[in-house]
Amino acid sequence: MVGSSSLSIELSGLSLRNPLILASGILGTTFSIMKRIEAEGVGAITTKSITREPRDGYPNPVVVELEYGLVNAIGLSNPGIEYFVHEIKLAKRLLKIPLIVSVAGGEIEDIVYVSRRAADAGADAIELNLSCPHVRGMGMELGTDPIMVKEVVESVRKRVSKPLFVKLSPNVTSIVEIGEAAADGGADVLVAINTVKAMVIDVYLKKPILSNRYGGLSGPAIHPIAVRCVYELYENLGDEVEIVGVGGVETWRDAIELILAGASAVGIGTAIVRRGLKVFREIIQGMAHYLEEEGFSSIDEVVGLAHRR
Amino acid sequence: MYIVGRILEIKRLTCRIKAFTVEVCERVNTTPGQFMMVWIPQVGEIPLSIAYKEDRLLEFIVAKVGRVTGHMHDNLSKGDRLAIRGPYGRGFTLRNVEKCLMIAGGYGLAPLLYLSHELKRRGTEIDVALGFRTREDVFYTNRFDHVADHVWVFTEDGSYGIKGMVTEVMKKHVKLKDYDIVYTCGPELMMFEVVKHCLEQGVKVEASLERVMKCGIGICGSCILDPLGLRVCKDGPVFDGEVLMKINDFGRYWRCLDGRKVPIKSRFNS
Repeated sequence: MVGSSSLSIELSGLSLRNPLILASGILGTTFSIMKRIEAEGVGAITTKSITREPRDGYPNPVVVELEYGLVNAIGLSNPGIEYFVHEIKLAKRLLKIPLIVSVAGGEIEDIVYVSRRAADAGADAIELNLSCPHVRGMGMELGTDPIMVKEVVESVRKRVSKPLFVKLSPNVTSIVEIGEAAADGGADVLVAINTVKAMVIDVYLKKPILSNRYGGLSGPAIHPIAVRCVYELYENLGDEVEIVGVGGVETWRDAIELILAGASAVGIGTAIVRRGLKVFREIIQGMAHYLEEEGFSSIDEVVGLAHRR
Repeated sequence: MYIVGRILEIKRLTCRIKAFTVEVCERVNTTPGQFMMVWIPQVGEIPLSIAYKEDRLLEFIVAKVGRVTGHMHDNLSKGDRLAIRGPYGRGFTLRNVEKCLMIAGGYGLAPLLYLSHELKRRGTEIDVALGFRTREDVFYTNRFDHVADHVWVFTEDGSYGIKGMVTEVMKKHVKLKDYDIVYTCGPELMMFEVVKHCLEQGVKVEASLERVMKCGIGICGSCILDPLGLRVCKDGPVFDGEVLMKINDFGRYWRCLDGRKVPIKSRFNS
């Protein structure tokens, strides 16, 4: 058995007991569920995306379960930063692991405001959700334009000294171009990828299922896309930023694959639907076993190995 | 994914409650206390607890409370199709119950109706107390007649059955300690009283909770109970009384669509 220390990492100055992070948008709404997920062994937690004002989100249906993944259009429902500040404070009092607060917004001014409030409330890092594929005017438009991305990240960077993560959309021609813009703006960590824009139609009722019609696909179906995106980002920006790989990770193999592609840490989200909260422990054990079997003393040694020629 | 159901029958039970019997295209494995997500295209999707099941027939009791239930009441008719996913959540304890008491408030009787039939099949002795506001609200008491040994019906104003709150059954009409378990479903403040009293008397109790649900599969975080971080859709909707007493939200707070908590009292008064 390998000591658990072999899995611990430093991510942009944050100490994580292992490289698994609860991805944004899955649970992460209350201090109580965060506490419960911490107990499942996760290395850090990302909250659901928070906006300046409360949002109800879209009417149901907001998710469609498929064999190979999940399509969702929750619609960024959240209680707004004013209320969520209390949730952050409670979470910080109870959690021993780092808390990353995800921030969304349509206006730069709002994004900066929410980021500052979250940082002041005790968030260990801020993640900018510039890539929600199914909410008009909330991220996607900002996140697909490199000039806008740089401007947003720069604006937050000026006002927030905590580590700054930027979550990237795969729904672009070149994720490297957007990643570069985020890095130029001062991002410390690139998180890739957000969901892939998608739609599901019921063949009998003959209508798109989601009330928003469009949603974002997550789960095993998008894993190879995530691997490709992380690989490209690491190849081009690996010297400037760290990368968190997210997308369809359900097993230790999926996690290791992203790390080999260049991710320093790995996000887990949709896997909770199919495997339950125990998925964190399963992946951690599998990764520890892999390190031992392959003769690594630390997970750091694995990061980006797939790039060596 | 969804399975398609066709409405076989709609029964008007009271001025605001209807029962929908739906035939689904494939068998679903369900247990009492579980719920299904029912989708009506271009209207919406809501969680509905299973009130009765027989082979491919599912019965839902629907109170007219919002946009989707309003549409179901006003616009759906026999033969219409709807889409159903599930079942979801954890149901009631079925094993090792020789004698039980069910306490229902209003349309909270829905999951208990299904439960009573399932327990009867297993040879459980069943007593039932049903509470309604007034005579016009009373429905389905006869559906319990052939499965229950005793059925007490309460109305708050005494216009039908026994006058008083249904919770009084525990104090005035039965010896609580005779039961292996008490099951309850209804307004949360009523369930709070039931759970508290049962635990004080050392009797096992289970309650079925209602919250705003969106995904139904335990990931969106809309129905979380503080401070344990339990998800009503996945870890519930049926919870053991001992657990509920550790949940500060139980009987006190509800979450709205955006996730903010509001006191339960104000919700019922508004």
